[in-house]
Amino acid sequence: MSGGKTFWRSLDEYQRSDAFGEMLKAEFPSIFELWTADRRQVLRVMGASLALAGMTACKPVRSDDVVPFVYRPEGFLEGRTDHYATAVPFEGYAQPVLATTSAGRPIKLDGNPEHPAFRGGSTPFMQAAILDLYDPDRSQEPLMAGRPASWDEFDGQMVKWRDAWRASGGAGLRLLIGSTTSPTLLRQIAELKRALPQARVHLFDPLGGYAGGAPQRLRPKLDAADVVVSLDDDLLGPGPAQAIHGRAWGERHGDAQERMRLFVAETTPTQTGAKADRRLGIPPSRLAMLAKAIVGGGKVTLTDQELAWAKEARQALESTRGRSLLTIGPSAPPQLQAAALQVNRALGNVGRTCEVAAPLTYVPEPGGSFLDLVRDIEARRVSALFVLGPNPVYQAPGDIPFAALYAKVALRVHAGLHTDETGAISNWHLPLPHALEEWSDARSPDGLATIVQPVVRPMFDSRSLHEIVASLTADAVPSAREIVRKTWARQLGDDAAWAGALKTGFVAMPARAAAPANVIPPPSPAAAPKNGEVEIVIRPDPTIHDGSFANNGWLQELPKPLFKTTWENVVAISPRLAAELKVESGDVVRVESGGRAVEGPAWVLPGQPQQVITLYLGYGRKRAGRIGTGIGYDAYRLRSAAEPWNAVGTVKPTGERVKLATTQEQHLMDAEGADLIRTVTPAHPSALRNEEELDRTSFYPEWPEHDPAWGMVIDLDRCIGCNACVLACQAENNIPVVGQHQVYEGREMAWLRVDRYYAGEPDDPETHFQPVPCMHCEQAPCEMGCPVHATVHSPDGLNLMVYNRCIGTRTCSSYCPYKVRRFNWFDYTTDAPSPTEAQRNPDVTVRGRGVMEKCTYCIQRIEGAKVQADIENRDVRDGEVTTACQQACPAQAITFGNLADVESAVAGQRKSPRNYSLLGEQGTRPRTTYLAKIGDEPDGE
Amino acid sequence: MPQIFSRTADTWFRAVALGALVFAVAFFAGALAFARSQYWDDVALAPQQPVPFSHKHHISDDGIDCRYCHSTVETSANAGFPTTHVCMTCHSQLWTEAALLAPVRQSLAENRPIDWHRVARVPDYVYFRHDIHIAKGVACVECHGRIDKMPLTYRAKAFEMKFCLECHRDPAPHLRPREAVYDFDWKPPADHAALGRRLMAEYRIRSPAELTSCGTCHR
Repeated sequence: MSGGKTFWRSLDEYQRSDAFGEMLKAEFPSIFELWTADRRQVLRVMGASLALAGMTACKPVRSDDVVPFVYRPEGFLEGRTDHYATAVPFEGYAQPVLATTSAGRPIKLDGNPEHPAFRGGSTPFMQAAILDLYDPDRSQEPLMAGRPASWDEFDGQMVKWRDAWRASGGAGLRLLIGSTTSPTLLRQIAELKRALPQARVHLFDPLGGYAGGAPQRLRPKLDAADVVVSLDDDLLGPGPAQAIHGRAWGERHGDAQERMRLFVAETTPTQTGAKADRRLGIPPSRLAMLAKAIVGGGKVTLTDQELAWAKEARQALESTRGRSLLTIGPSAPPQLQAAALQVNRALGNVGRTCEVAAPLTYVPEPGGSFLDLVRDIEARRVSALFVLGPNPVYQAPGDIPFAALYAKVALRVHAGLHTDETGAISNWHLPLPHALEEWSDARSPDGLATIVQPVVRPMFDSRSLHEIVASLTADAVPSAREIVRKTWARQLGDDAAWAGALKTGFVAMPARAAAPANVIPPPSPAAAPKNGEVEIVIRPDPTIHDGSFANNGWLQELPKPLFKTTWENVVAISPRLAAELKVESGDVVRVESGGRAVEGPAWVLPGQPQQVITLYLGYGRKRAGRIGTGIGYDAYRLRSAAEPWNAVGTVKPTGERVKLATTQEQHLMDAEGADLIRTVTPAHPSALRNEEELDRTSFYPEWPEHDPAWGMVIDLDRCIGCNACVLACQAENNIPVVGQHQVYEGREMAWLRVDRYYAGEPDDPETHFQPVPCMHCEQAPCEMGCPVHATVHSPDGLNLMVYNRCIGTRTCSSYCPYKVRRFNWFDYTTDAPSPTEAQRNPDVTVRGRGVMEKCTYCIQRIEGAKVQADIENRDVRDGEVTTACQQACPAQAITFGNLADVESAVAGQRKSPRNYSLLGEQGTRPRTTYLAKIGDEPDGE
Repeated sequence: MPQIFSRTADTWFRAVALGALVFAVAFFAGALAFARSQYWDDVALAPQQPVPFSHKHHISDDGIDCRYCHSTVETSANAGFPTTHVCMTCHSQLWTEAALLAPVRQSLAENRPIDWHRVARVPDYVYFRHDIHIAKGVACVECHGRIDKMPLTYRAKAFEMKFCLECHRDPAPHLRPREAVYDFDWKPPADHAALGRRLMAEYRIRSPAELTSCGTCHR
């Protein structure tokens, strides 16, 4: 039994407002608002549509040209895809991927299944990286003072500069690099320091801190942990190790024998908090105190709730010595890291559930931080600054006027993928290739290295970062490939070893001894707010991150896991503070701190600590490109170099109100009386509410049995709400981006959405995620609704959509109880700027205007596997067909396969007592079912 | 008061009504005939090619197997178009001076591909695969006609959906042993029906219900 608990999607629903009820009844909320036509108007529009419908149908199939190769490239097979192991960067770390190319163009990225740590898992950022390759706003040629120039001109200048540096030992020359793990770049930096001892390399790492490298942190190994206590560490949220942690999470949940218990204390709601068994919202000023309560010793002043949480967490840690883990987030005060190490040592966890290892990223030498660079520019010690990759003019903290300082440097050279805020005010801007176009290397968070190999020729006139760095000292620069090979000369010297490393996509690296722990600055207790002030937490945006993904349409339109807003950042505010300030979601608030202010729309976020507001970085870009420029507010303005993650300030409404493009209340299932989300407990292991749910009587004839019978099971206990599945679906199925205004109207096109539900009080709710694709109902209501048989059933159980038959009545969508059908209100693809069309999957139809579309269970993959099996005269094997969402899921929450095969994984999962159908009482017989989340205490009753 | 309508008004009205009806029927019949015409379906029209390539000569006179040029027909969705290099394996020795082959030599010399005009084409929303049809014993001739008798290549069959469905609804009469797939002169045995049934079982050909399901060709 599970009932009794009330789930809600938004505060409107929680308060049961009338407007919400009306909205629920409307299929598309936009129509509910706009539809005021009378009968005559309806008839007129209908007549016109009918007349026009006939005009568009007929077009003869004319012959076109076919252009064969002069010589066929070795191993190339027309009409087949190839796969290459490489990596895309995230925060300087490698995300090992397998790139799929079709006719020489990369069309999809997935986690490298053979990588021992990632094992095929994806993150949304990994999936979206392919769109950045085809970004039409990428910088395409070198610019000198903003005007197109050639590399020859740059090389000519370089000869002069190089001679001067050689004479002076590189005096005045500074390099500013972003966070990097590339062994080749680290080698080149070391060589540069030897060749030009006066030159200096500075690190710019806005997510690690401006004062130097990131503090040394424990490397968690979640798969070995029975109990994890996280203090503000968003393990399951965006980060370089998200896929690794997600995998470990999946393995310790669902049907796992030994479940992991997770305790999370967080200063702002995160995905990790959403999945916690015991969650605690706490303001940043009390986090250190909470840590003290867990570590023990000293007097603490905490609320009863906080004390109880700390006590339980401490007991859990101690009762599972050697199998527990205390982890501290990167934004927490650095001295807590040392305390955590101490605790884990004492509990015998080090070496089991976590490792102490030397940082993989570049650690600047003393005097090599960004703040040191700022001081040196102020002291006029910098004559030439090469900004190689990062965007400091945008990402510098608000208390450093870096744009003005930068202008004081005589020679400013910027290398990057875009002519961004920094590139625009540089003397030279140099285009860098995308990771899929270049030779490089990088290390994944587990310590393994990946050789980054190009999977496509550079599209633009770009030059590798390694070649640019080499040209600072060398007259004749070898190719990037040779530079990278030289780094690996000892380990991968012979060609076979090199080819092997490229093929598998990872290389082991000799582990370095753990460096001595970073110098821990004296504890600076987070400033406590004075009367009338609030604490401000600053975090990377859940989808745009630090702003480097701002021009990526997929990530912009991806609903943020917890708010479900798109296309802008919000100011998260607690329900109580919102009530105090009389603010609702969408009201613009002004946040002031340290004499600087930003204005952004409020989002009332259940679970947000009471007197805390959260700002999100990455928006307010001035030169991101046609997608990312000019949306949202710039939270970097409120950051300070000393305390980049926290601040204290005031918040007040401005009286303005904006409409947020949120998908939270769109595509709602009419949930009256239905248990959409279910939880089970060890005492009540069945997800079924009553025996009636097993009753299969129906007015309709049974769907005939057939082998194969495709079906899917989604494990809600494993789902971490990361959205990797959503973007994998978007990349695989040519799903268009519709833009902010269309999202307002409820017209976003994602075939797979992740619904977020809350339960309990808004101050401290439970959070649940539920991915909802098409259910492929055996008794599909949509099929009964379609007047032209455009949606029909296949014998193996797929609910098919025949685009050419569809006349766009949208009856199917109004009949669909799950609201998973999407309508092409406009032609979203024909005018898409080149070269974005090169990303499209040739095996999936690009839909035109006026047709319905929806999840197909990746029919192109099913048909591909069926054809291969038929050619070999055998049945399709279990596991041979994976859907794009299933393949991407780091937590392995999605299983797909043949239900008619009793041995198949999906048939096995269907037998679980946790299995239930969404809206099963409606008799739709969905082929997609869910496994209930497991709670550890009786819920409700 | 004079009569509004003349005496012949009724006759005029009937004649016009009949004329309109005849015109409407003729218009629709004409439109239908046009839509079903070879012109509309691009059938039997040999487009101008850069080189007047003769399948008849290469197959019937020289005895070259289809797969020599269309080398991926058994392994990929696409049959594969021969590269210039493939043409030149023979033509670097034969007809080396022929004026007709100048574009081929030029292509190799300049490393610039030849632009051929595709003859057999299905719409973009049809996902046709050569490999599975070959594996199940559907001969080239079933769709491409007697290409061994075409001096200039043209489309032999109208690639309309009904053409595909004809076979997908009842594949047996269109099947032959795999080894005869590329044989243009293959004659069905006397008991073709029995052979069809045997091959249906042997090649595990899916049921008509599955073969005619929309998702088999469209997605």
